[in-house]
Amino acid sequence: MIAALCYLQYHSTRNRLVTRFRRLKQPKYLFGAVAGALYFYFYFFRYLFRGYGNGAIPAAGPLASPQSALLYESLAALVLFVIVLLAWIIPHERAALTFSEAEVAFLFPAPVTRRTLINFKLVRSQLRIFFSTLLLALFSHRLGGNVWIHALGWWLVLSTLNLHFLGSSFARTLLLDHGVSNRLRRVLALVVVAVASVAVWIWAKQTLPALTDSDTADFKSILNYAQTVLSAGPALYLLYPFRLVVRPFFAPDASAFLIALVPALLLFLLHYLWVIFSDVAFEEASVEASQKLATRIAAVRAGNWQAARKNQKAGRAWFKLAPAGPAQTALLWKNLIGIRQVFSARLWIVIVVVCVVFFAAFGHIARTQNVAVVAAIIIAIALAYSLLLGPQLLRLDFRRDLPMADILKTFPMRGWQIALGEILAPVTVLAGFQWLLLLVGFGLILFLPGKQEALMLAIGISAAVLLPVLDFLMLLIPNAAVLLFPSWIQTGKDSPRGIEATGQRLIFAMGQLLALLLALVPGALAFSVVYFPLKMLAGPVAPVPFASLAATLVLAAEAGFGVMLLGKLFERFDVTEEPAS
Amino acid sequence: MVQVEGLTKLYGEFTAVNELSFSIQPGEVVGLVGPNGAGKTTTLRCLAGIIPPTRGTVLVGGHDIVRDALAAKKQFAFLTDEPRLFDYLTVWQHLNFVARIYQLADYEKTGAELLAELELAGKRDALPGELSRGMKQKLAIACGLLHSPKVIYFDEPLTGLDPLGIRRMKDSILKRARAGAAIILSSHLLHLVEEICTRLLILQNGRKIADGTLAEVTQKFSAQSGDASLEEIFFRATSEPALPPVLPVESK
Repeated sequence: MIAALCYLQYHSTRNRLVTRFRRLKQPKYLFGAVAGALYFYFYFFRYLFRGYGNGAIPAAGPLASPQSALLYESLAALVLFVIVLLAWIIPHERAALTFSEAEVAFLFPAPVTRRTLINFKLVRSQLRIFFSTLLLALFSHRLGGNVWIHALGWWLVLSTLNLHFLGSSFARTLLLDHGVSNRLRRVLALVVVAVASVAVWIWAKQTLPALTDSDTADFKSILNYAQTVLSAGPALYLLYPFRLVVRPFFAPDASAFLIALVPALLLFLLHYLWVIFSDVAFEEASVEASQKLATRIAAVRAGNWQAARKNQKAGRAWFKLAPAGPAQTALLWKNLIGIRQVFSARLWIVIVVVCVVFFAAFGHIARTQNVAVVAAIIIAIALAYSLLLGPQLLRLDFRRDLPMADILKTFPMRGWQIALGEILAPVTVLAGFQWLLLLVGFGLILFLPGKQEALMLAIGISAAVLLPVLDFLMLLIPNAAVLLFPSWIQTGKDSPRGIEATGQRLIFAMGQLLALLLALVPGALAFSVVYFPLKMLAGPVAPVPFASLAATLVLAAEAGFGVMLLGKLFERFDVTEEPAS
Repeated sequence: MVQVEGLTKLYGEFTAVNELSFSIQPGEVVGLVGPNGAGKTTTLRCLAGIIPPTRGTVLVGGHDIVRDALAAKKQFAFLTDEPRLFDYLTVWQHLNFVARIYQLADYEKTGAELLAELELAGKRDALPGELSRGMKQKLAIACGLLHSPKVIYFDEPLTGLDPLGIRRMKDSILKRARAGAAIILSSHLLHLVEEICTRLLILQNGRKIADGTLAEVTQKFSAQSGDASLEEIFFRATSEPALPPVLPVESK
């Protein structure tokens, strides 16, 4: 029976790959694939072929040193512990193996045992794990160490986690069947965590010297302290199984890897036995899950990306929409209501990562400089990032509404009105965020010493005027791109995948940067024309806001022209074109 | 109310709609039928200004859909088979949004009446994701009818509706027609077309092959008498061999 399932998997994968190769006949996919392949080669693969030397990655990267490897092993074990813990706390559904509707229709009524189905799922998940392993190994290899050890280490971690997720979902179902509610299970898990945390805390308080300022002086000191706590006492025992799983990854050489591999494989085997011998009825929940999946896929294929989303909550209107007034305000109003969708888990992760990087990068400055200076630098960088990344993340415009283009086209509105209405929401949100940052910056100026106050104030006012127009210009480009190349840009929530999609994104990002630079030239000229003559009369600071105003006016004219063009593009946009793929 | 003259839509070499001409008067319910790929949806999309015609003119309420698009678009509603809603707007927010688009000062009263008529009054604050398929269809209809359109385009209006929903949809279409709206209805459900349409427009390969009342079309394509069913007429008109009738076992 498993042979038939392997046949299914083999031919499904093969046909999918053939389809993707065939579509390379289309230039948009071919160029994307070439760009994507070049990116992966230059960023990852060339290091595999060139060895360690001549500017390539040194063998002794941060992961290769034994001391840091031990630290990272502790941290990795802790991360794994948190992931596993969350798997026991967050999910609430009964165990469900997600199959496609066709698989449900063919396999569930067929004489296939439950165990065979689980094995099939496990074999299939190996394909996904293989690609994840490849990418992660290529990335982690850049931090030093042996790529093959990293690859096998990643495979072991991901495969064991995969089995654990499945096993915990089976256990959850069994607990539910035995009357242990989700709430009770969560409380029990949290109690275990609380007891463990208290034990670690008491041990650390009794055993380790009291925490001093030098222990928290910088990121490295904090990590060293964490290593001390994690590698002794109760934490050592708590994290021990997790250490066993991640240890092969951090092995410095082949012999150490083989030694670490034995207990890790044993854990993997135990997980497998746990999953395979769990007698849990997953069929009903699986049918439901596959139907939901099929509904989402059908909605996406029908171009109705909105219907493909789930778990929506009603958003509040930002303002009362009167029935009379410019029609484009209705689109602004609508898109602002939908902002909740934009702040997805992915965006929050990006925000958290950016914040962590900021504080890690600028933490050392805080010890030597005035805090206000540090904060001002962080705000300036945040503003720059908001300008560059904000328009990519806030997709409250055509990028979200394009699947509804046929409906938008029936509205009695001119193209430019629809274009303006679509772009206003992300501009409003971005500008609001940036003004907030500037206000904080103004507050900090008060703490800055001497003559810089005037200059900072001038720059702040200029930024407040310029930023919304710059945001507008930045947003015009991806919106024009989505109308010109709808299949290149992600519309809705699901994004195109594959090496060609990566290449398409790269080409688009470079095009956007080039377009922005060209768009800024007239503004920079206007700034210069006003600034330099005034500088001779009033010094270097006072002309800044006036020159910025001139630049803003020129850029605003460009933005207005851009909206008219975008409107024309939308009017000409053919809704029957190929959707994102 | 709707005048179509020489409407042609080309996709590269492919002709989706070919020299189509017809007109619809207020109160008429015109059934647009034809096999798959006949050009029904393309025709409706051209009529709604969603895609521009390659050639020909479309006048809605006397306004050209290309040259005077705004005035033309204020005249009609386009209701698709799959209700197209914004999943983050509630039922009432949809109406509020449409009211601003169409500048409807008294939308609250009309909106409340429509929701009551369509049995959505208790769902004002619900998101589309919380509505059944039929309710979503009703919401799309409420949005379409809020500005009291003089022309309504229906593309497969009964898709996904339960028997009660079908009955109500038919009543709703007839009610709007009696109120003077011109209605074009594209459907594969020939019994629906037969039941509620006053006129029939049969398309094949983008061309009009029949246009007239049911009796006129029947007469044109009926071999002997005029009592053939629309299904039979449809097969004859589109040159598809009619399936043999299903007979009871004894009579075979």
